[in-house]
Amino acid sequence: MYHILLNSNTIIINSMSALRLILLVFIWITPVYGNSIYNLIKIPNLEIYEINTQNKLKYFYAARPFRLGTQKNIVCSNPDKKDLEIKYKIIYKNLSRYSYDYLKIINLKYIVMCENLSISELYTAGIPDNIMKTLILDIKFNEDYFERVIHHEVFHIIYLQYKEIFNEEEWIKFNNSKFKYAECSTCTKNIGLKKYEKTKGFFTEYSMSTASEDMAEVYSHMIHLKKREIDQIRKLDPILNNKISYIESKIKQIDNSFTF
Amino acid sequence: MIKKIKASISEKIILVHLILLGIITFGTYIVVSNECLFIKNYKPKNINFTNPNNIAILNAPCGNVIIELYPEISPNGVKRFKNLIRANAYEDVAFHRVIKNKLIQAGDLEFGKKGSLDYGKIGNGKSGMGTIKSEIYNKFTYVKGSVGLARTFKNDTEDSQFFIILQDEPLFEGEYTPVGKVLYGLEVLEKIKYQRNSEYILRPDFINSFKMLN
Repeated sequence: MYHILLNSNTIIINSMSALRLILLVFIWITPVYGNSIYNLIKIPNLEIYEINTQNKLKYFYAARPFRLGTQKNIVCSNPDKKDLEIKYKIIYKNLSRYSYDYLKIINLKYIVMCENLSISELYTAGIPDNIMKTLILDIKFNEDYFERVIHHEVFHIIYLQYKEIFNEEEWIKFNNSKFKYAECSTCTKNIGLKKYEKTKGFFTEYSMSTASEDMAEVYSHMIHLKKREIDQIRKLDPILNNKISYIESKIKQIDNSFTF
Repeated sequence: MIKKIKASISEKIILVHLILLGIITFGTYIVVSNECLFIKNYKPKNINFTNPNNIAILNAPCGNVIIELYPEISPNGVKRFKNLIRANAYEDVAFHRVIKNKLIQAGDLEFGKKGSLDYGKIGNGKSGMGTIKSEIYNKFTYVKGSVGLARTFKNDTEDSQFFIILQDEPLFEGEYTPVGKVLYGLEVLEKIKYQRNSEYILRPDFINSFKMLN
């Protein structure tokens, strides 16, 4: 029995040494290639799509699927080239509305385009990272609201960058006293993005998830809708009127020259 | 009586060949072992500069690298860089991060000095002069030979470390504080020791000296 154990231990030790040797050889022969994009924003497998833009936004796309985060729970795939071509034009058109100075203030510089973006297996339209000045966008996310959602995600960058300016306690007071947001944006099944015909304090079902998502929905509608539509909503919905004024004043506080 | 034996012609030919082979082998050894043999060493005294007050000369193992500094683009960055150069702070400091044909980085005054290299901490050292603000909003195109100040992931953390790029890097514009550009001696930088499997170098090359022309 002891002999067998000894043998199996020897085998284990030998196989571990062999594994170590293989790993060492692998490390030794793996050349290092500096990747500028990875060094800048710490997302692997990206390639440049367009970097010569008027507002100096740099567009990258996933050339291969990538995983991110300490738990590697952020996953995204490489998009189809034709889809990318179409969606890039839409993203570019929408983000061109922001000036270089505004983008500098809100700390957004890099746009990563990929497909089937998920965080902890929950699909999402975008992931903002103000520290890395990066917004990851899923180009296949809900076609109907794709353009507006781009601005929704831009707001999240702004919110993260200026958390001290956007006071959730103040925001909550705009709603009816009986209303309560969900615990988190993924804690609710009410994630509809269709704009309500009769708003009653909220633009969409998703607005009711959390205060910050509500702010992002208000901001994105302010950008996306025509001025007369916003004016109409302001006249008919006093709650939304307050929310719109709030976002407007806070954005002015961040960049006085910005106009919706 | 010992008879004198004369070498035949074929034996003489073999001898000449052996001597030639020896000379070639020795010559090849000298060429191969001296990696700096065909590198031109630029002498700043032989060159006329339009801005001599903004010329810095970095002496590396294979010769001089002549750099023009751009105070009009990054006044604070260049001021810090000049102060450190004038204080001879970069002497015997390692080229601690080298990526072949891409970039070289040096200037860790705390953990990168010859004789007190700390491989565990190299790249994280400070100058003791504090950090300075990033100067990234003036137009500057990062082309091969551009010199910039290194920083952490956050802006406004530039200190003493600098890098020189060995290929065009359009993404660096607006990210890193530019301080100058190599005018002469890029080939000297291309000979700085690198490792295939790591950006960080075991037994790295060092800056021999780094001085301002005036």
